[in-house]
Amino acid sequence: MSETDTAEPAVASGSAAGAMAAAVGDERLAYRSIFQRLFIRPEIGAVIGVIGVWSFFWAVSLNFGTTGQTQNWLDTAATLGIMAVAVSMLMIGGEFDLSSGANTGAMGILFILLIKEVGDLGGLGLSIWIAVPLSFVVAMAIGFFNGWMVERTALPSFIVTLATFFILRGLKLGLAKLLTGQISVTFTNDAHGYDFFRPIFAGEWQRNEHIWNGRDVFYIAFLLIGAAIVALAVCEMHFVRRAQKVVAGLPIFALGAAGVGVGVYVMHATDGVVNNTIAAAIHGVSILVGLYGFALWRFEPLTEAGGLRLDRRITLLLGAGLACVAAASVASFAIDSANDDTLFFPFTVQGLRVVLMMLFAGAGFTALMVAANRALRDNATTKLVVSTITAGAIVAFGFVIRASSEAVKFRTELFSVLLLVGLALFAWSVLGLRFAERRRIDADADRAGVIGLIVGLALLLTAVILRHLFVTEDELLANVNPAKFSVRMLWFFGFTAVMVWILGRTKFGSWTFAVGGNKEAARQVGVPAARTKTQLFMIVSGAAWLVGMLLAFRLNSLQAGAGDGEEFEYIIAAVVGGTMLTGGYGTALGAAFGAAIMAMSLVGIQAARWNTDWRFVFLGVILLLAVIANRAIRDRAEAARR
Amino acid sequence: MAEHLLELENISKFYGNIIALGGVSTSVNAGEVTCVLGDNGAGKSTFIKILAGVHQHDEGSFLLEGDEMRFNSPREALDRGIAAVYQDLAMVPLMSVWRNFFLGSEPTKGVWPFEWIDTESAKRIAKDEMAKMGIDIRDTEQPVGTLSGGERQSVAIARAVYFGAKVLILDEPTSALGVKQSGVVLRYIVEAAKRGLGVIFITHNPNHAYPVGDRFLILNRGQSMGNFAKEEIAQDELTQLMAGGAELEQLQHELAEAMGNGD
Repeated sequence: MSETDTAEPAVASGSAAGAMAAAVGDERLAYRSIFQRLFIRPEIGAVIGVIGVWSFFWAVSLNFGTTGQTQNWLDTAATLGIMAVAVSMLMIGGEFDLSSGANTGAMGILFILLIKEVGDLGGLGLSIWIAVPLSFVVAMAIGFFNGWMVERTALPSFIVTLATFFILRGLKLGLAKLLTGQISVTFTNDAHGYDFFRPIFAGEWQRNEHIWNGRDVFYIAFLLIGAAIVALAVCEMHFVRRAQKVVAGLPIFALGAAGVGVGVYVMHATDGVVNNTIAAAIHGVSILVGLYGFALWRFEPLTEAGGLRLDRRITLLLGAGLACVAAASVASFAIDSANDDTLFFPFTVQGLRVVLMMLFAGAGFTALMVAANRALRDNATTKLVVSTITAGAIVAFGFVIRASSEAVKFRTELFSVLLLVGLALFAWSVLGLRFAERRRIDADADRAGVIGLIVGLALLLTAVILRHLFVTEDELLANVNPAKFSVRMLWFFGFTAVMVWILGRTKFGSWTFAVGGNKEAARQVGVPAARTKTQLFMIVSGAAWLVGMLLAFRLNSLQAGAGDGEEFEYIIAAVVGGTMLTGGYGTALGAAFGAAIMAMSLVGIQAARWNTDWRFVFLGVILLLAVIANRAIRDRAEAARR
Repeated sequence: MAEHLLELENISKFYGNIIALGGVSTSVNAGEVTCVLGDNGAGKSTFIKILAGVHQHDEGSFLLEGDEMRFNSPREALDRGIAAVYQDLAMVPLMSVWRNFFLGSEPTKGVWPFEWIDTESAKRIAKDEMAKMGIDIRDTEQPVGTLSGGERQSVAIARAVYFGAKVLILDEPTSALGVKQSGVVLRYIVEAAKRGLGVIFITHNPNHAYPVGDRFLILNRGQSMGNFAKEEIAQDELTQLMAGGAELEQLQHELAEAMGNGD
């Protein structure tokens, strides 16, 4: 709603003294709804990308959503992501490190040469207890050297680190051949300290060894409670709080909650597709009742809803949207879903069908959403009508998919997701008709809402993690494929969390943005620019060391060329995640998501049984799309702030 | 004679055989605005660079609160309370207002290495300090790059004031601004002086200088054309002196003739 933001420049309006009095809850700030605020976050492009790419491969491949494949892409994402997060910080600080890829392999090889048994063709035979810190010190030295050279020579880091890249690459090959006579170095389980360090860097969680029959109860419970909390938190941030609460709303809310419980029981007791529709209906009604009760209790009612007004634009968008959804439905029926043959290289018939459906459905629902958004600007009644049509189209499409698909995942999983989305949309616009949307900042409500969102999302995430970590006996009897989660994922999540915190909340993080955004200005106000940049290079080198350890312990061996050339993948992941190539803008979390997108693409192309020779075409297209999307988001963010 | 906050006597600066500044004297009192006027190339930049510690003077005396000063770096000048706000403002456009406000001196909580920026109080202080100057920033999360020129000046001034400046040097703060925005910045200058700072306001626009100034130093080609208290000089005289007197009169005649012909 940027066009409502016509507030005068702050300093020009009113007297200085008057402006002083109005310091709390500034009335000239155009209110941004929760969705608008989410949409201008720099990570949002990567988040949408993660969802899009995941859905795409889930739809076109046989097994992309399974635990085995999830473990597969998370494994790739972990090492890529650790580096991408570190590299994105360096890029925010305005520099590049082309040696980062070679550095990962170099650290692994250095480590192996340090601990490899002594012999004519061998290593130094050190204890791992010594080799781990020693190689870390070397990593720090390499990072320091990069930073120091860049600062001292004032040459572009592109050139300096290119030189480091070649030096490391040569050293890896030269030393490996000199000391071991081979281009791949290995070590044995006998190395001193191996039993202690192996679980730290390469511990594994065998899913099939962890049986938990009650898993699905907790899974469903966490999923439902998490989703409910998220929904309530969104309401809290969207509607006007009531001064005087209406207690009558609470029993209605309780009734709705109880109804959801009944729905779960029905779903549990009757496990057929038909009965699931009944369960869905119970769920739908209960969710509506529950949300309505909650809103009645807490929020101010809407006094003026307005009459239905459909202008030409909205009608056109509605028509186009419905036509596209119809086309998607036709494609869904017309092309045989069971046909797994290759249609034309590299597509299968099934792949074509999914692509056509996704394209048409995507375009259609986008048009419908835009129509709903336009209708919102008019009045609540119009929005309700347009949203209901959209929700109806979504639900209808769900039934089309159920009727036309062979695969269980489409018939049940996608079907229920579409039902839920349609329902949520419908419920949302009903609430919008009855309750007043907040147009002013309410810090208390926002704080409560953010806490709710975090708790809700954490519960949802826990649900998904539980489902992937444990098996039930039934699944074992059905010969579920084994999956082993590596401890490197914890390193990835932990490293990302720490870097997000550093970048967002510490002095060093602020200085990183400053030296990347305007180095001279930063120096003038007393930021130690050279030191900050050197430390950033050391963070990248430290990350390379960590990845080197993860690689070395995985197979107890490394090729001399390990990691060479991967630095561009790190940079791509960072850019896909919203980091600006010119520095001064970006996020660490976005880079982690960017790494996830790339890993999913690499694994998904195999899972979809496409010719993997084409994977780079795919990566190139993703990079291009991501850069364009991120530019659009950044422009929007700055316009919204103006 | 009462002691001035800052007193300069016969300050000269030579670059080789070029006299960049020759025998300039003026004074700055706490709570007052001293304007330094001059056309392009008059020596204004050299003058502020000496005050801000970027260059050192070759002759004359430079007294701050009665002590003879010779700064070797801007940091030293800053430590003694002389803060310069340059035209390029030393700001990072993509960073938010509050991060820019505290850049380099962030308030922290916790113990090293687990210390983090106290965002809540940083945002509050930034907003309050600007409000004290009569500047009402809508949203301290706003990137500085999206602020108008006048607003950016205001952030820079408020920052210098908050971090304990005694003498505030403003280098052409109004030169790139429109009429309305210039008025806003002039108000901040008065506001800063009211809070007890000595302000040195460098400009080539006598219309901006006269309403806010208490003392005027006029430079031309590195030489002082005079150092006046406000009661000693009228605005017309100031304009005349600044442009080199006779030359301006000549120009006015020529312009009048040219326009007369045009009718």
